[in-house]
Amino acid sequence: MEGVYAVTWPRGSRRATPGLSCAPRLDSLEGKTVCEAWNGVFRGDEIFPMIEKELRRRYQGIRFVGYDRFGLTGGGEGAKAVASLPERLREYSCDAVISGVGG
Amino acid sequence: MPDLPVATIPGHVDLQSEEQLQDNVDTVLVRGIIESLTVQPAETKQATEPGPGSIVFRGTLDEVNSFFQAEGWSDGLPIIPPTVEKAEKFLRYTTRPADTVLGVLLPGRREATVWNVAVNGVMAGCRPEYMPVLVAIVEAMADPKFGQEHLGQTPGTEVLVTINGPIIKDLDFNYGQGALRVGFQANTSIGRFWRLYLRNVAGFLPHKTDKATFGGTWRVVLAENEDALAHIAWEPMSVDQGFKTGDNVVTINSCTSTDCLVNVGADRAEDILDRLATRLVDVQIWMFAISLKGPSLRPQILITPCLAEALARGGYTKKKIRQHLYERARFSARRFEYLRPDVGSLCDAVKRGKLPRHYCESENPDRLVPIVGSPDDFLITVSGDTGKDNILICAQNGFIGYPTSKRIDLPEDWERFIAEARRQITSQPTQGVGRW
Repeated sequence: MEGVYAVTWPRGSRRATPGLSCAPRLDSLEGKTVCEAWNGVFRGDEIFPMIEKELRRRYQGIRFVGYDRFGLTGGGEGAKAVASLPERLREYSCDAVISGVGG
Repeated sequence: MPDLPVATIPGHVDLQSEEQLQDNVDTVLVRGIIESLTVQPAETKQATEPGPGSIVFRGTLDEVNSFFQAEGWSDGLPIIPPTVEKAEKFLRYTTRPADTVLGVLLPGRREATVWNVAVNGVMAGCRPEYMPVLVAIVEAMADPKFGQEHLGQTPGTEVLVTINGPIIKDLDFNYGQGALRVGFQANTSIGRFWRLYLRNVAGFLPHKTDKATFGGTWRVVLAENEDALAHIAWEPMSVDQGFKTGDNVVTINSCTSTDCLVNVGADRAEDILDRLATRLVDVQIWMFAISLKGPSLRPQILITPCLAEALARGGYTKKKIRQHLYERARFSARRFEYLRPDVGSLCDAVKRGKLPRHYCESENPDRLVPIVGSPDDFLITVSGDTGKDNILICAQNGFIGYPTSKRIDLPEDWERFIAEARRQITSQPTQGVGRW
């Protein structure tokens, strides 16, 4: 007779912060400070200026803090840059963050 | 945060002209960005999950495998059903309690624990006595220095795991001919464990969080031939990583691609090394050019024992080899500019802070610059067929993290446990294991 196996779960418990979900969205980008985080790939150095140009055209008073203020979030030093993000984003009073570029 | 909004660009940015990219940014991406920042996404409720040790299924071997495959917990090969009893046998080989958290892995943000190491070790076909190696591997995986969260990237990087220390012989790792071939239980099952663990605990799944273009299968674990090293008074790779000869150590290094240099032997050591240096540049230069992360590259070079002996006869130690390669594995500025006309020159990259200053010591396009940031960035391992003059280059890609090493901690009664385990093992042909 073939054996029957009682098998256990192979995963790990989620280390989620209770109640963490997306921050409340902005009513508008007018007058807001938008910060940028770049992982160093996929032409982000060209794309972010293009985004800034188009958003400035659409929204009065919008302000940008470039990705060069935060360190590259990818690559060997990326972990350090990501770890410092919360404090740095507060330092620059960011209302929103655009993080890229994924593939 | 499963409800995190994402804005996309159509197509692949690398295939678009500046005008096409601008148009896609203006007409598609920015719209997506505005929506992402101004429209609240619906909150996704996480499903309730089992806990560690929970029984999730009962069935025959085939039924268990079908269930695990359907849940995404299997790599497509038959798994050993992870019963609680089987996992508990692994716990005998570690001093740590089962609920010890070794780290939190991304992208799933799940706890890596001694318990789920044992469960995935069972599934992979590991023997219980491999547990100390498995724990050390996961500790290295969870170390922020390694950057495991980037392993789902486009290149589909797979990792090379290297073992040093007396544990190589304790667990019958193959370190001779076919050092990276399947067929030896320790090398093979532990290599499989690596990828199963990335799937089940880190959360890398193809078509979801694993974005590998092609990917590749997990690598068989490499063991260094420490007998050969002792014969020529070279130190193990673990010593270069900060440990002492005789320490049991695991090192993980991201290895995006490999290249085998066949028949590189010569009667002069310098000629062997210059052949290696030439090929190193060929294998790594594209990574250097697209990433501009030369200082982050950590190529690992596997040298066979007979080549190592030839180099030692020529007066070379691992340190001297690294220095030689740093000076000789170079490319011209002109070659870089040919590969990356969009970046401009190396000097332009230095001015923009993308490369260190020594990449622009002059504007001479024929000046030669190094492929890595420092001689210490090369890792050198001796293994493989003792009588063949081949070298394997393991090319890193600089986008993940750095080689990370951890001590393999053994329980107090290790010698007795190993003796007991050996009595249970069916003997393997010893000529395959690796002799010097």
